Amino acid sequence: MQLTLAYHAISDMQFNAATRLEGTTLYIDQAALHHYLLEDRRLAGVETDIVHPGEACRFGVVFDILEPRAKAGSGPDFPGILGPMEAAGQGLTHVLQGAAVTVLDAAAPLSGGKVVEMSGEAGEACPYSPLHHLVVMPQVAPGVERHAALNALRLVSVKASVFLARAAVGKAETATATEVLDLAGAAGAAREGLPRIAYIGQIHSRQRVAEVDEQILYGANTVGMVPVLLHPNEWMDGALVTSYMTRGVETFFYQNHPVLTELYRWHREGKITFVGAIATMAGSDNEDRPRNAMLATQQAKWALGADGVVLTKYGGGAPHADMALTAKMCEEEGMRTSVQVEDMSRDRRAESSMLFHYDEVDAIVHVGGQGTSWTVPAVERTVAPTPEVAAALRASQQLEAARICGVTSQQGAARVRSFVY
Amino acid sequence: MRIVHYLNQFFGGKGGEETADLAPHLQEGAVGPGKLLEQVMGEDAHIVRSLIVGDNYAAENLAATTEWVLDEVRTSGADLFVAGPCFEAGRYGVAAGALCAAVQAELGIPVVTGMALENPGVDLYRQELYIVDSGSSVSAMREVLTTMAGIAVKLSRHLEIGAPQAEGYLPRGILHDAFVEQTAAERLVAMVVAKTRGHAYESEFTSATLPDVPAPAPVADLSKARVAIVTDGGLVPKGNPDNISPYAATNWGAYDISDLDDLEGDHYEVSHRGYDTRYVEQDPDRLVPVDALRDLEKSGVLGKLHGEFISTSGLVNPLANSRRLGREIAEKLKAEGVTAVILTST
Repeated sequence: MQLTLAYHAISDMQFNAATRLEGTTLYIDQAALHHYLLEDRRLAGVETDIVHPGEACRFGVVFDILEPRAKAGSGPDFPGILGPMEAAGQGLTHVLQGAAVTVLDAAAPLSGGKVVEMSGEAGEACPYSPLHHLVVMPQVAPGVERHAALNALRLVSVKASVFLARAAVGKAETATATEVLDLAGAAGAAREGLPRIAYIGQIHSRQRVAEVDEQILYGANTVGMVPVLLHPNEWMDGALVTSYMTRGVETFFYQNHPVLTELYRWHREGKITFVGAIATMAGSDNEDRPRNAMLATQQAKWALGADGVVLTKYGGGAPHADMALTAKMCEEEGMRTSVQVEDMSRDRRAESSMLFHYDEVDAIVHVGGQGTSWTVPAVERTVAPTPEVAAALRASQQLEAARICGVTSQQGAARVRSFVY
Repeated sequence: MRIVHYLNQFFGGKGGEETADLAPHLQEGAVGPGKLLEQVMGEDAHIVRSLIVGDNYAAENLAATTEWVLDEVRTSGADLFVAGPCFEAGRYGVAAGALCAAVQAELGIPVVTGMALENPGVDLYRQELYIVDSGSSVSAMREVLTTMAGIAVKLSRHLEIGAPQAEGYLPRGILHDAFVEQTAAERLVAMVVAKTRGHAYESEFTSATLPDVPAPAPVADLSKARVAIVTDGGLVPKGNPDNISPYAATNWGAYDISDLDDLEGDHYEVSHRGYDTRYVEQDPDRLVPVDALRDLEKSGVLGKLHGEFISTSGLVNPLANSRRLGREIAEKLKAEGVTAVILTST
């Protein structure tokens, strides 16, 4: 499976009469975009705004953040959600690098809600602060049930993303770089002796029941799903979006998956053989957990022939147990593992942080954030779907690391580490 | 800086094991390693009192020793309390740890000690104290005292104490956030490759070695047992009368079931944010199996179902808090004559 990414660097984003890409400036026809988004009858209206890097601006509550991407030709873009049911991860995809589509959720509570912080010390820690954001604020029509409203927000997110990136399709002259993602040759003679490394990542946690119309993997809500081989290219090319439980996850970092990107880099440099990825879930009962762990382990062992596996979890605390059991089973099958855990200790004691204990699972990356917060200053500008949220965001306030998108990423993007002192 | 220094009989120059019963002995000025400590601390540091106690005496009379030490430190007007270093000497380490903890808590002045990782004083007091990693060799005395002095000076000046490896103390198990250059993904991949190749790697977290909990003796005769149900699944009567938090709960509730053969969803709710609670809400017996246990009670398999079930929410709870809740619940049930408990979790 070969995917070519054509990167178009974006250094400015402006509303204009016609959507087009000129050099590194993206012009957006706001009226045409609104018209397109409002084809969905579940929406009563939509507002959009642009936020640039360096602005003293804060916005939220964030539903999701996407990188604008569009497939050359007929797609498929976000198959199962926007496009027809075809395999993602192949062909040519245009990427507006330096741009983001950020969808805000008017009905989400501000308390605990995620924001993007564009300036100051907290902004520096936010991996989304260097981007030009098209901020989209859909207004859901009265009477639309919450699950349908969320589904409408999801549709808005992918439509806006593709709408913007279509401006780059066919524009070879603005492509600043291309990258080919391909695992072919993983079995070649030149790779003999290299460690064969796989990734097992959770894409949902059944702690929270997926809505019947919640679209996660190729449009499916993952109910009843068991672990599945999912090519890294599919993972990054629209097969996958986040569930509505967005603790430490945004679709942007599926598209730019830090773990998959890093494995590809080592693969290209001839230091490992990247053999593939498996998407799994955190279970909700005792049968789910060993079943999922066993199946993911068997796939890594027998379908991918892995020597080593990187594992990450989704959601809150309990999914650590699923991840750790999977890692333990991998170790028992002779595969070495590293796992990413989230510091959830509320008394700052290390003894309260560890949610599993297997002797074999001893290569642990410890993502911090629980002990980090900033007193952010009042900002000149806020973008929010309601005046109340806008006013609340404008004030100086205490923001915990987990509330700022990307800081405590569970997808591998985090730079905040929990040390044991 | 005025320092009070605690030593055992050996380092205090009063003899070996044969004098381990030595009662508290005050000596003005520095003694033994204290002289070296003054040197490495610099000119303005003075050990005003050396407190010397035999290892056995301290172990057998810890309360009295603590009282004496607190008094001597208080009346000396000390700015700093130093104990040891104790290396592998177990009784010395346990006493030094206890005295440092007491001085720190009661008098609020900086304290520092030193021990080998294997010293039993480490496990008892590492969370509360800066214990310099002394290793086992007494010949490293100058080096150990230099490290202790460095930490003492920082504590006195209220400067931030850095990472254990950098500062030379044994990890206290306190979490500390810092931003690092490499993303988590970069560290994950480097770590798995090193591990797969059999190379060295450094985990960012080492599981705490928790003490083994021995399995209790089985219930000898269930037909004579008084059985209680305890759950951390957060089942509470409608309205959550005890206000049990859905995460990091700090309390538990006891709820009457003496007249019930069956729990009905209409009368209960779940205060817990960590699992799919629908099935328990539909039928609370799935978490707190009053229906099944009542049947067993009626058929004589089980002596008596206790009249209350106990509930709390076991989500992201600090261990220290969980231990307290557990102790409280156990005390209550024991006092009420319960002889067996069924714990249900989620």
